[in-house]
Amino acid sequence: MQSVKSWVARSAFRPVTLGLVLLLAGTGVGHAQLRLDVTEGVRDAVPIAVVPFGGQAGGGPNDVADIVAGDLRLSGRFAPLDRKDMVARPTSGSEIRFQDWRLLKSDYIVVGRVVTERGVTALAFELFNVQTGEPLLAETVPVPSLNMRAAAHRVADLVFERLTGIPGAFSTRIAYVSVEGTAPSRRYRLLVADADGFNPRAVTESNEPLMSPSWSPDGQELAYVSFETRTSAIYVQRLSTGERRRVSARAGINGAPAFAPDGRRLAVTLSRNGNLDIYILDLGTQALTRVTSDDAIDTEAAWSPDGKSIYFTSDRAGSAQVYRVDLNGAKVAERVTFTNSYNARPRVSPSGTDLAMVTLDRGDYRIAVMDLKSRTLRVLSDGQQDESPSFAPNGATIIYASQSRGSGDLALVSSDGRFQERLRSDSGDVRDPAWSPFPAR
Amino acid sequence: MPGFFREHLRPLAGSAGLHLLIVAALAVAAMRWTSPNPPAQLAIEGVVVDGRSLPDSQRAGRPKQRPEPQPEPAAAAPAPEPVPAPDERRKASEQAEQEAALRVKAREEEAKAELAHRQAEAAKAAEAQRKRQAERDAQSKAKADEAERREAAEADAKRKAQAAAAAAQDAKVKSDREADLRRRVAAEAAEEEGAAAAARSGAVDEYRSLLSQAIERSWIRPPAAKAGLECTLFVSQAPGGTVVDVKLGSCNGDQSVRESIVNAVYRASPLPPPRDPRAFERRLEIVFRPTE
Repeated sequence: MQSVKSWVARSAFRPVTLGLVLLLAGTGVGHAQLRLDVTEGVRDAVPIAVVPFGGQAGGGPNDVADIVAGDLRLSGRFAPLDRKDMVARPTSGSEIRFQDWRLLKSDYIVVGRVVTERGVTALAFELFNVQTGEPLLAETVPVPSLNMRAAAHRVADLVFERLTGIPGAFSTRIAYVSVEGTAPSRRYRLLVADADGFNPRAVTESNEPLMSPSWSPDGQELAYVSFETRTSAIYVQRLSTGERRRVSARAGINGAPAFAPDGRRLAVTLSRNGNLDIYILDLGTQALTRVTSDDAIDTEAAWSPDGKSIYFTSDRAGSAQVYRVDLNGAKVAERVTFTNSYNARPRVSPSGTDLAMVTLDRGDYRIAVMDLKSRTLRVLSDGQQDESPSFAPNGATIIYASQSRGSGDLALVSSDGRFQERLRSDSGDVRDPAWSPFPAR
Repeated sequence: MPGFFREHLRPLAGSAGLHLLIVAALAVAAMRWTSPNPPAQLAIEGVVVDGRSLPDSQRAGRPKQRPEPQPEPAAAAPAPEPVPAPDERRKASEQAEQEAALRVKAREEEAKAELAHRQAEAAKAAEAQRKRQAERDAQSKAKADEAERREAAEADAKRKAQAAAAAAQDAKVKSDREADLRRRVAAEAAEEEGAAAAARSGAVDEYRSLLSQAIERSWIRPPAAKAGLECTLFVSQAPGGTVVDVKLGSCNGDQSVRESIVNAVYRASPLPPPRDPRAFERRLEIVFRPTE
């Protein structure tokens, strides 16, 4: 418009000028008057109001709005409005006075209620943009066998996906090992809990160490290492039945199992020839394929999502670093990490574009993420003894164990490092977390 | 229908009572009208009525020409003669007869007048009754008409209001356009006259950076908004800086990015005013172009 205006100003024939102005004014055609650029933003969490659901008493572990708000907060992407600050409690879209929520500085609002139709209980909810009043989502989520928490996690999944474009991972689970008591009466338990740390239940227990749980791609099985026979062995256990089979109990070390994306093979670490190397074990045929054969220690295998390569830790260069081997090629390991003197325990992001690992960052072991394209490493956590990173199946969050004063806790960090949070856990010293894949729907 | 009766029970009952009353009154009046031998009855009454016993007010209503009865002709007569002459006696009796006849006539006339008076009164009452009834009928009709009229008037008023609102809207649009046009023309003129100098002096640049900063503070930048993103918003602001409309132009970001930038502008509302009022622009074109 600026240029049009100056042209207009220069125009000698005034009636034409006036005519053009009239035309512009009359038709609304024309460009904005003032052009400006916005090149920065803030990295805050997006404020959202999750109003207590109608049809249920507030509070308690089944408070739907509380669960949804908790999930959104744990994602690090959202800042749920404190319930105390809510001036109204609408339970459906027609009851929302948007100006109220604008004053409360909420950008989005979730309202809903527990409904029962023909004996089936469900959560009916709606999501709105507070600034524009635009309805964004309206869905009814069934409550499976009265598991209100599961249904609430599903609501959070849908809200998260609508607002971020990323599927929510709140309906997933985490596996981890807890250690209670002191030697010689230590008690090891392999636990599976909801992604928010609730509902932990034991998959197996032992007086000898349990470690390195790995999820099957369908989320139905866990592979893990148990020393229950005093020597290490790898087991695969079906969660629904508890039925398990020992898949590797070879002489020496049997460790670090990792399910291949096809679910039929395991990458494992064995010390068959007196040296730790990576092998692929076919679960159907028990056939072993050797992947590495270096004299150094090679361990902690992680599959790329396409199943074509394996990342692993090796000290072949004198200190632990991450390497990658192409399974279809010459099987020559390529060093991936160079930034710090110690990089270990790689895990590939679900998109295959990033690698999470433990790095020695100025004297502290911390969780870092490397962009595989640019090879830049970014430290995400700020502990002293952080270990065992594992990506959420949506890639947005990483769970890890953080040791302090001899005891481990579970912690979350968003994969961009913006947000960190400890996960509630009441089961002693916790280590080796592994995030499940998405549940089958 | 039952609802109508329930709602209007009181007025209906009142109206029914009133009608009953009127009918009763009319019946009484009619009975009086049609009663047999009213003149005789009235004549008898008339006989009973003594003019002197009537209050003055009523007497005053009597015909003026009524011959004054001779109360005591005998007493009024001159002293009796010792031997009245036969003529005189005849004369006297004649006179007495005449006087009696006169009295009867007077009484008859009185009765007639009374009758006429009463008839007039009754007629008057009936007329009044009729009038009242007519008035009441007229009133209830008027009420019904009024209700109808009010409804019609309301509907009319509503139509008119809508029309007026539409007209006002049109007028507003028109006046907005006119104002816009005037502003443009004025701006053009001002530009020629030296507002360009203000622009050159940096007022517009300053305003631009004020706006950018306000929106940057309000933009919660999602992780998906990376370098290379370029999204244009067309924003209209009211003179006080209140954002009234945001339209997304071209944008290579995903939905979360699009929503974040639209919300950023609404969150920044009201936008800061320029230090130099001449630098104010209602329409803004904002390009979101983050640098990593």
